Amino acid sequence: MLTAQLTPVTGSIQVSPHYGSQGARSALGWNAMTADQSAFAAPSSTSTAAQRGVRQPSAGEPPVDEPVLQHPSHEPELDMSTETPQERMARFEKDAMPFLDQLYSAALRTTRNPTDAEDLVQETFAKAFAAFHQYKHGTNLKAWLYRILTNTYINSYRKKQRQPLQSDASEVEDYQLARAESHTSRGLRSAETEALDHLPDSDVKRALQEIPEDFRLAVYLADVEGFAYKEIAEIMDTPIGTVMSRLHRGRHQLRDLLSDYARERGFVVEGATS
Amino acid sequence: MTGAEHGSEHNEFDCSRARMQLYEYLDGEMAPDDIDKIREHLAQCGPCLQEYDLDQTLKALIRRSCSCEAAPRALRTQILARITTIKMTVEFRD
Repeated sequence: MLTAQLTPVTGSIQVSPHYGSQGARSALGWNAMTADQSAFAAPSSTSTAAQRGVRQPSAGEPPVDEPVLQHPSHEPELDMSTETPQERMARFEKDAMPFLDQLYSAALRTTRNPTDAEDLVQETFAKAFAAFHQYKHGTNLKAWLYRILTNTYINSYRKKQRQPLQSDASEVEDYQLARAESHTSRGLRSAETEALDHLPDSDVKRALQEIPEDFRLAVYLADVEGFAYKEIAEIMDTPIGTVMSRLHRGRHQLRDLLSDYARERGFVVEGATS
Repeated sequence: MTGAEHGSEHNEFDCSRARMQLYEYLDGEMAPDDIDKIREHLAQCGPCLQEYDLDQTLKALIRRSCSCEAAPRALRTQILARITTIKMTVEFRD
């Protein structure tokens, strides 16, 4: 499908890939992203975790044991040096623009207001287009776009909002042990489950806004977008252990908040214990 | 009531281990060998199963609540306009 766009066009509008890309990149202050992308310009099957997001919870399914960083040597190379600006634009519109609503939704949850969300998404797409020649056709475009979104957010909006960075100081073992230890103190939880399940969407969005943004983002990427841990690690540029830690902490905080909300609404949260 | 440790043959997957890996199971990130073990544990341990049930509910709740929202139409137009500007800049430099 892409090769169809590669029919040579007149030489006058043909762009030297190096010259053109460098110009666009530095004009957008792209350098910071470039280093990241070399690590991320890594092919993965677009069909694995991405699809999980729209399906039922994947519990119990065997994990997709497919390395994210895998080079598909069979993938036909898209020759960027012969791609005209018009062709690149058409390719971008066709492949990247369909993610607009998804990225906007993520930006809304991330920035917490529509104006910032629009700015963030616009910036994300502008950067993505300027770097589109670096994106390897056939790799995970959605994750690539999310990575740009996340980086853009961290580099600009987070500074603006001056939120303290969430410390991941205590890693996996601590929280996992805490969970294991809390086991015996938990009684019947089905009442809590029942209560949470009846909360309105607005309560969940409110709770998401209450938790630290690193936690929020990890939970969003895992639960809403269905990204695999490996992909979240790449998007957030952290080790997988940190992703797991953020997921644990974020989910536990959400759960506590939502239980509080349920209680405020008069739902029975505690089981018939104590 | 506590989640009882079930017999010696289940030592490898006791409640503590199950709790530690519930999210991995929930997220489809567990190694195939362990999936059967945790399933077996959940089938026998009420408290762990309830915990899992809650985790599963929460995950589904978050997904349901954050369903995709359509971007404003103007945003798409703005993005395309901006991209065209980038394209033009590149062209004229050549």
